[in-house]
Amino acid sequence: MKKKLISIILTAVLIVGLSAAVMAETDKYGGVWKDALQSNPPQMDPAQSTDTKSAEMIYQLFETLVEYDSEGNIKPLLAESWDISEDAQTYTFHLRKGVHFHAETEGGTPTANGGREVTAEDWVWTFNHITSPETKSPRAYFIDMIKGYDAYRNGETDKLAGVRAVDKYTLEVELEKPFAPFLGTLAYNTFVVMPKEDVNKWGEDWNFHPVGTGAFKFESWEQDSVVRMSRNDNYWMKDEDGNQLPYLEALEFRIIPDYTMMWEEFQIGNIYQTYVDDPFYLDAKENYPDTFFELPQLGTYYYGMNVEKEPFDDKRVRQAMNYAINREMMIELVQNGRNTPAKGIIPPTMFGYNEELEGYSYNPDKARALLAEAGYQDGFEVTLQYNTSKGHKRVAEALQAQYRQVGIDVKLQNLDWGSHLDSVERGEAAFFRMGWVADYNDPDNFLYVLLHSDNIGPEGNYARFSNERFDTLTEYARLETDPEKRKQAYQQAEKIAVEEAPWVFIYHYTTHSLVQPYVNNYELPAFGQHANLFRDVWISK
Amino acid sequence: MFAYFIRRTLGVIPVILGVILVVFILTTIVPGDPARIMMGQRGDPETLKLIRKEMGLDEPTHVQLVKFYKDVFTLNLGRSYRNNMTVIESIKSRLPVTATLAIGAMIIAVVLGVSIGIYSATHQYTWQDYLSMIFSLLGIASPVYFVGLIMVIIFARKLGWVPGTGLGNGEWIYYVLPILTLGVRPMALIVRLTRSTMLEVVHQDYVKTARAKGLKEKAVIYKHALKNALIPVITIIGLQTASLLSGVMLTETIYSLPGLGRLSIQAVTNRDFPIIRGVVLFMALVFVLANLLVDLSYGFFDPRIRYE
Amino acid sequence: MSDKNLNKKSNLKSEGLKETSDTLLKDSWRKLKRNKLALVGMSIVILFIIVAILAPYLTPYDPVEQLIWTEGAAVKLAPPSADHLFGTDLYGRDILTRVIYGARISLQISIAAMSISVLIGIILGTLAGYYGGIIDDIISWIINVLYAFPFLLFVIAIVAFFPPSLILTFSAISLVYWMSIARVVRGQVLSIKEKEFVEAARALGVKDWKIMFKHILPNIIAPVIVQATLGMGSIIMIEASLTYLGFGTQPPTPSWGYMISAGQGYLAQGQWWWGVFPAIAIILTVLGFNLFGDGLRDALDPKSR
Repeated sequence: MKKKLISIILTAVLIVGLSAAVMAETDKYGGVWKDALQSNPPQMDPAQSTDTKSAEMIYQLFETLVEYDSEGNIKPLLAESWDISEDAQTYTFHLRKGVHFHAETEGGTPTANGGREVTAEDWVWTFNHITSPETKSPRAYFIDMIKGYDAYRNGETDKLAGVRAVDKYTLEVELEKPFAPFLGTLAYNTFVVMPKEDVNKWGEDWNFHPVGTGAFKFESWEQDSVVRMSRNDNYWMKDEDGNQLPYLEALEFRIIPDYTMMWEEFQIGNIYQTYVDDPFYLDAKENYPDTFFELPQLGTYYYGMNVEKEPFDDKRVRQAMNYAINREMMIELVQNGRNTPAKGIIPPTMFGYNEELEGYSYNPDKARALLAEAGYQDGFEVTLQYNTSKGHKRVAEALQAQYRQVGIDVKLQNLDWGSHLDSVERGEAAFFRMGWVADYNDPDNFLYVLLHSDNIGPEGNYARFSNERFDTLTEYARLETDPEKRKQAYQQAEKIAVEEAPWVFIYHYTTHSLVQPYVNNYELPAFGQHANLFRDVWISK
Repeated sequence: MFAYFIRRTLGVIPVILGVILVVFILTTIVPGDPARIMMGQRGDPETLKLIRKEMGLDEPTHVQLVKFYKDVFTLNLGRSYRNNMTVIESIKSRLPVTATLAIGAMIIAVVLGVSIGIYSATHQYTWQDYLSMIFSLLGIASPVYFVGLIMVIIFARKLGWVPGTGLGNGEWIYYVLPILTLGVRPMALIVRLTRSTMLEVVHQDYVKTARAKGLKEKAVIYKHALKNALIPVITIIGLQTASLLSGVMLTETIYSLPGLGRLSIQAVTNRDFPIIRGVVLFMALVFVLANLLVDLSYGFFDPRIRYE
Repeated sequence: MSDKNLNKKSNLKSEGLKETSDTLLKDSWRKLKRNKLALVGMSIVILFIIVAILAPYLTPYDPVEQLIWTEGAAVKLAPPSADHLFGTDLYGRDILTRVIYGARISLQISIAAMSISVLIGIILGTLAGYYGGIIDDIISWIINVLYAFPFLLFVIAIVAFFPPSLILTFSAISLVYWMSIARVVRGQVLSIKEKEFVEAARALGVKDWKIMFKHILPNIIAPVIVQATLGMGSIIMIEASLTYLGFGTQPPTPSWGYMISAGQGYLAQGQWWWGVFPAIAIILTVLGFNLFGDGLRDALDPKSR
């Protein structure tokens, strides 16, 4: 024991000494960042991207007007500052000067835009491009509150009236009606500035030749194998000492589909960052105390119950489903305690979270009593539909055993993500796994989107929950601008939804990242690992 | 012989037509909507309609089938639903990896398989014979995904003999484990086949004559027996193409290699129908052509076979 | 003429079939006994079947009961011990018990898939071989077309596109496996139908189906049994690959492929028992069927006497 301690101290001293030496020599520069993605990103065209793998790539290559800081607050990015009009319907963005599109890409080939400066006109073009019906962007509707959106989509006008360039560095966006979380929406990875010359040059193949303003420029994308990016020497951001950012010379994202193999590669040292699947969690925590990052994420994991279908048309059954499971123990034993048990819908780090919310706790007797009251004293059989994934299966298998204890026989059925989503949206699945991670940091993105009766079906309300009082409250909070009033409205609405229980509330997600000990300045974003940036990361190896 | 050549080649046509039909059926008459997958969670119905129309999903089935035959013959296979890359390009970019794996595995399988097979046959019912049979059969019986992981843990993490999974910068060392993993199955089949045909041939008259003439045992085996034992091996190379193309699916997934096998599995889970169609057609075509070649090459290897 | 034929027919019945098949059987058994590997294979196969049938009597544990909820973390991934010879899994289930019940699932699926394959294969193979002509052309065409597909991709596509169930799994497997049987049967029938006793029966005006059933079928059984025994191994592998990839049987059903897949990460982590024991079970079983099948082929093949 003593021997071991001494050797640990010795190694520590050695490492500190070594890294000090390396530091002096390299002075935070250089190095290739080696990373891994679990699947090939489908899209590097910001207008088409809907998934986190694509988002991670896009955040390196492109930039938005505003971004989130590590606490989840909005901060300037390409917009240095902004003013919001009295009626909360006009946003005026003052753009950063000296921001240039990439001049070179893919091994030094000049881009079509030639590396020119970004102006307000580029933003106007980009917003028109994204919302144009021809682009068919699946995320255009995120900004459907901008004035003239419908007219432009229907072809009544040939441009988006609400977005205007006041002068070279001033952009004005006018909304149809107030929308409190508007700035948050703009931080989403679709709303980045794109150079029209390159977008037009590549046409259908633009997805494979992205050009933006980000800290890194695109080099190559070998499908299913690796994505390579190199430093943008012309990047606008400097560190506090005035040094040019980014420090890293290049980024390399290998695609490793199997989490176990990813872990092996991390152990060998071939990659600097890895996803930590449940089997490796304790190991990661123990062996990398300083570089294993975990944060509560703005997301909720739930089992939806279609309130129009038997037996879930009975509120008592839905409540029984919530009383029957032991969330704490499941998270503790099956997931190594890495998530937070959910009492309701809004995640703990989101604005409007209600600490006093009572929610449901494990109470099998009450579950049985409620079932008996609803006429199911002998229990019932139901199929839980989930999308194929080891993690979902792990949770489902545990909860299945708990439901059996109160007489509910849960059969499991997995489908690929697309088919799962399809049947859930059509209301065909009575009982289904679902999760939601915020697009923007506001309860509107949870309560209104997922449970307002206007959104029943594909728009997000898969449980087909409908409650008049809930609808009124969430609509009111959408338009209201006073934070305190909004918060109260959301908390009231959430209470109704929890009481009515259209979901089995299971847990709030945690996001995490494990990086090698020789990685410096890595910051895990509250929004999720996929939003991580490498602007000022450096390697001391 | 020429007539046979023509007839055998023309015989491929109905098979290919049938393959196209089955691919169409497989990707059309299934539940679920590929347009949904493109939209992700919370898509708006309006854009969904636009996408479905563009994909031609709103047309009647027979119209789609006729169009599909036309598309295949004009090599107009469309673009991936998922990333908009043309199907031809998607296949082309994955082909080198899969071809390297398949050809490498086949070479290993033939070289090792024939050698072990001969050895086994000449040592029938000895412990060496049993050992080589068990060894090769273990190759058939071990699940790729299990062996792959064990190999990576041992050879990459513990011993450091190979740098890891993936492609690196294309160095040959990255192909060693995957080729071995992929090659054991055809190798085992070739061992079994070589062994049994060798045993059969050894007892035949002309070999016995050769022996009686006083030729050395080795010469008998290599000159007479082996030549004839190789014919079924050629057949199995053709037939094993299909099983290799199945094998690459698991091998490429476990070793993080960007090949056709992984492309096809992903396409299936994403219901990326243009890619599924393209890859399945391509693999079936390779199989049909490989077997055509094998059939036609018999004449060169075995003069006794006459083309009726 | 007719007298002669009659004689021939009765000859065939008494010697041609029964006696030769009796001696063939004895002869084969003698050969099989000499082949030690085949005996080992046979023992494994028999053991596998016994374990599958007697599963509930071989273990005191329930294959799906999760002990962690009552006994806590102590039974979570507990290493092999006297209580749990193969250790426990993440949910505190006894792995030995799940391996034993897994044999049951494997056997069910492979027998179901193989029976369908053999049935379709014999019917279509016999029809094609016996009638020849356009019938043969059509059936051979179907076989050649389906043969051209990479079988695993084909099965995965079918299983992935429809909601999973046990029936779907074995139907999909038999859909790609029957061709191997049909090919063998067709070849055999082609050679047998030229034989004297069949021609004789035909000349006598015996109905086609009767000829096929009475004269041809008994003569093709041996190669079909060999092919089916070897095929059982392949089918067990396919089923395990499917569940490994997340298709096929669903939890809590204990399936070997799923156990390997679930235990894989823990295996890399040193908690090897969840993944390794089912893997050994698969390897042994498949090995057993292959050794036994090989031995059967050598024993039943009149050429290798």
